[in-house]
Amino acid sequence: MSRRAARRTAALIGALLLLAAGAGCRRADTASGPPALSLDRLLGGAPAAGFARALAPREFRFPADHGPHPAFRTEWWYFTGNLKEPGGRRFGYQLTLFRSALAAAPPARASAWATRDAYMAHLAVTDVAGGRFHAFERFSRGALGLAGARRRHDGGVRAWLEDWSIEGPPFRLRAAEPGVGIDLRLEVVRPPVLQGEAGLSRKGAEPGNASYYYSLTRLPTRGSVTVDGQVLEVAGLSWMDREWSTSALEAGQQGWDWFALQLDDGRDLMYYRLRREEGTTDRHSAGVMVGPGGAARTLAAGDVQLEERGAWRSPATGILYPAGWRLGVPGEELSLAVRPLLAAQEHTGAIRYWEGAVGVAGTARGVPLTGHGYAELAGYGPPRP
Amino acid sequence: MSRLLWRASRRHLTRHPWQLALSVLGVALGVAVAVAVDVAGDSARRAFELASEAVTGRATHRLTAGSAGIDEDLYRRLRVEHGLRSSAPVVEGWVELAGPPRRGLRLLGVDPFAEPPFRSWAIAAEGPGGAELDVGRLLTEPGAVLLSAETAAELGLAPGGTFKLAAEGRRHVVRLGGVVEPAGGPARQAARDLLLADLATAQELLDVAGRLTQIDLIVPPGARGEELLSRLRGLLPAGVGVERSAARTESAEQLTSAFRLNLRALSLLALLCGAFLIYNTMTFAVVQRRPLLGTLRALGTTRRQLFGLVLGEAAAIGGVGSALGLATGVALGDGLVGLVTRTINDLYFVVEVRRLELAPLTLLRGGFMGLGATLLAALPPAAEATATAPRQALARADLEALAHRLVPRATVAGGLAVAGGGVLLALPGETLAASLAAMFALLLGCALLTPIATLGLMRLCGVPAAALAGLLGRMATRGVVAALSRTGPAIAALTMAVSVTVGVDLMVRSFRSTVERWLDYSLPADLYLTLYDTPAGRFAVAGGGLGPETVDAVRRLPGVEGVNTLRHVRLGGSAETATPALAIELDPRARSAFGFARGDPVELWPRFERGELLLVSEPLAYRRRLVPGSLLRLDTPTGELELPVGGVFYDYASEQGLVLLPRGLYARRWNDPTVTAVSVHAAAGVDLDRLAVELRRAVGEDRRVLVRTTRGLREASLEVFDRTFLITGVLRLLAVVVAFVGVLSALMALQLERVRELGVLRACGLTPAQLWRLVTQQTGLMGLAAGLLALPVGLLTAAVLVLVVNRRSFGWSLELAVSPGTLLAAVGLAVGAALLAGLYPAFRMSRISPAEALRDE
Repeated sequence: MSRRAARRTAALIGALLLLAAGAGCRRADTASGPPALSLDRLLGGAPAAGFARALAPREFRFPADHGPHPAFRTEWWYFTGNLKEPGGRRFGYQLTLFRSALAAAPPARASAWATRDAYMAHLAVTDVAGGRFHAFERFSRGALGLAGARRRHDGGVRAWLEDWSIEGPPFRLRAAEPGVGIDLRLEVVRPPVLQGEAGLSRKGAEPGNASYYYSLTRLPTRGSVTVDGQVLEVAGLSWMDREWSTSALEAGQQGWDWFALQLDDGRDLMYYRLRREEGTTDRHSAGVMVGPGGAARTLAAGDVQLEERGAWRSPATGILYPAGWRLGVPGEELSLAVRPLLAAQEHTGAIRYWEGAVGVAGTARGVPLTGHGYAELAGYGPPRP
Repeated sequence: MSRLLWRASRRHLTRHPWQLALSVLGVALGVAVAVAVDVAGDSARRAFELASEAVTGRATHRLTAGSAGIDEDLYRRLRVEHGLRSSAPVVEGWVELAGPPRRGLRLLGVDPFAEPPFRSWAIAAEGPGGAELDVGRLLTEPGAVLLSAETAAELGLAPGGTFKLAAEGRRHVVRLGGVVEPAGGPARQAARDLLLADLATAQELLDVAGRLTQIDLIVPPGARGEELLSRLRGLLPAGVGVERSAARTESAEQLTSAFRLNLRALSLLALLCGAFLIYNTMTFAVVQRRPLLGTLRALGTTRRQLFGLVLGEAAAIGGVGSALGLATGVALGDGLVGLVTRTINDLYFVVEVRRLELAPLTLLRGGFMGLGATLLAALPPAAEATATAPRQALARADLEALAHRLVPRATVAGGLAVAGGGVLLALPGETLAASLAAMFALLLGCALLTPIATLGLMRLCGVPAAALAGLLGRMATRGVVAALSRTGPAIAALTMAVSVTVGVDLMVRSFRSTVERWLDYSLPADLYLTLYDTPAGRFAVAGGGLGPETVDAVRRLPGVEGVNTLRHVRLGGSAETATPALAIELDPRARSAFGFARGDPVELWPRFERGELLLVSEPLAYRRRLVPGSLLRLDTPTGELELPVGGVFYDYASEQGLVLLPRGLYARRWNDPTVTAVSVHAAAGVDLDRLAVELRRAVGEDRRVLVRTTRGLREASLEVFDRTFLITGVLRLLAVVVAFVGVLSALMALQLERVRELGVLRACGLTPAQLWRLVTQQTGLMGLAAGLLALPVGLLTAAVLVLVVNRRSFGWSLELAVSPGTLLAAVGLAVGAALLAGLYPAFRMSRISPAEALRDE
């Protein structure tokens, strides 16, 4: 998933530029500012020299590895989940925190504002019944206690951007904007799933062009969601992805479709399809199937079939996104129809992408099956002006 | 008929080109000075507004804490703990490019992550040099800054290039990380004087780690905003206040309004000179043509037509003069703006004017003033031209008789105007505008009194002139009296013009001599050790001064008998809204540095040192209407402090006013042990130069410190004073030029008109040499009369400016100093210009033959 990380890094730096460029407008498409820089050039501009690289499988230690890995250029904490209010009203949520280092060496300067880390956070709440999608973004420097990530005394992590915070395990997620917010507690009931080769997720031929990557695929969740100023008790399942790397992008890749699905039979399925510019599936696409007991089986690009069913054009950005899929894992005799719980779950801030709650219905070995999850669709828009 | 009239008018004017040119010049000069002063003032104000706008952006409010600065943790707490997200931290300061050319820039340190809602900075991805802007490096690299593309080009800098600057007395080498391209319009203008940097970089350059200059806020309008503000006030630590963003510009406006009003008054004096000259010109043009006008009336021209004719001429002269004046004024304003800016920078706040602001209103006002003054000045002669019967108009003798009959009336009117002005001045608590109106009334009254004074003077001069120059001398004095219709207005105009130069000159001298005397007693120590030498740096952020260990080191030096410490500090508010204060600890010897306008020093000092009262400077007392016993409330980082005002002292260093605090109280309540200046009393017989060297050594490596002797500091202070008053000096010089031109034009025209009279004299046997003497004697006499009469009027003007206008604008008590040099120079100016004015007519008259001169007959 370093594509995702890389894209995020690129996007974060791009967002920084736009922030600096400002023009008082958060939406780049209306900004009358500087010419856009291509993401590749931006990434090329942030030298990898001086940062640690993911060269070989390492030993993961928990909860310590939930904490920050400042030797690497990029890392992120990524939470998504599907929740239900006692009355049956469904909600999706996303809380993500990205750290991106701007320089390898920590600053030795007089000012406490000096930093080498930039932080970006996204909060989204999908009110399925209300047909509303609330998305927010924040940026901050990793200095002065405004944003940061540190290991707690008990070995867990506290990562925050202003008053949005992630702490755990067990995890407590708190983030609020006027009228909208989440305050959730996430139980860890299964061991972390190490992605790729024992947590080393290779992205290309070059050594070190890889990331360390693990997931907590099923986190029973309780707490409250605030929508339109109304605080609602909710419960459901969350999913956490963690990754850190100093990877570079490879040419020819255009974007990705990423799925994190929690099935009612207790299994969890993650799959990402890397789309190449010519429209084909990149051979680095991969996934994982986690059994009810936590046993994980890696899926290669050839193990999964993905077909688009339907499309949705964003009225805000004009971008055409797929809006439904047929996802099959022949080896598991699994055939699923995945569809968005709400079409309009597009982030239109400094970075444009679609990330939203999805519903799953299908069969496993002929037995009907349902589930919920999250999908992320990136790289669909035209390059930023 | 009316075409004929206009042709007659045109002929007359073109046949007297000197007269025409000089009257146009008179109008033009008056308008030019007024417009120049306005343009310069407008430009300075607009530059400040733009700079404020660029810095304020879309912020509606700001948190400030005077020079104490704001603890940066407040920002974190507001954002992280209280979720107050529409906030942006700002560190602001003034830096100077090491040059050449030396140039001031406003350093604005911001957090790019918090900026977008507040300010619009478009950062060009590609700089002029083609180098790519690296935002990461801007944040992570110490000393990385941004400039506007224009400024970078002006300074010949390409992104990646390094340059030197001085900030808070220290030198730094910074790197141009890229160029900013603001959206356009005003922001673009203002960005030319901005040095933009990451907040961390700005803190480091300005040496204020841990502190913010302000926290900008966007507060929504209405009840929600009020609620937010009241919640916010509950969260703020002591010493930190909320102010509206607009307060800064308003305050700057208020601060400089008295200064600008004063300038405008001076420029109006110049215009008044111009108006008198115009009046003189128009009167002259009418009386000169009385025979022609009489003939026209006899031929059936109506009064209305004649009235229109005279006013039409005035309008033409006024129009052309005003147009010329506007053009000259703008050019002159370009020159003056530097002087105005310097004064503002020395007295008020730092502003850098890069563009001349040509407000249409200013130009319109200048044009109207020129045209209006001309028409107004032409009204009496126009009325006179139409009021007389045709037959009378043809007789010169009648006119002169009428002129003499009018003298008593003018005297009465003048006396009334003077009395009215006096009453207006005597009224207590009047506004500055009223004082200025009174001054103009006085001047007008004096002008009306000049004819009678002239008659008296000529009678006085008659005897000695006759004794010295015989018949010719008597002819000269009698000639002035006999031609009163012409000489009266001319002498009045000259008197006014010269008196204005006397008044302004005496005012500046009085001011300077008062300041000199004040400096004599306000610098009682032997050596002065001061931090910074710029107004911007005068108020170092709390904690940024010299530490107690430095003061102790100075105290311990052999040869040092006593030490005074000073701490400049801004109380509350941002740079422009704060009250300057001085926390002092004085050796008893240095108490003499403060002269009290109110209060008894013997009683005040012990109570002051016990922290029981505050002392305020005269301008502050005036501005805030403070008297001994008034309570003054100060916000301190440890809570509010309310103390009575004990006394009011003289101070000419700050027009904004100054509060004196005892040092112990300041250190305790502001948690700041540092000082910004130390002065030393040396033991008798100590070599001050050597002691200065040792003081320098005691201070160590601190390069911000200047060590100066009393004389050095005195000279530096007077240098600032002279710089501040340079603009006034220039205005005085312009008034002198207007006066000079006035004398020249009036008298030259007068003599040129005497062709016939002088022709008769020549025919009667006057030699060319005698004619020279007669002409120059007469113009010289008139110049002398104007010069002498200008002295009392000038003294009166100076007295009003010094004792009333300055007091009401700035609250300063000044002593009127009369310098004989100024008075002599004024008389010299009048006589010199008058003699010069006689040269050409005398030359011309002596060249042409009497027959030719009499050909009219």
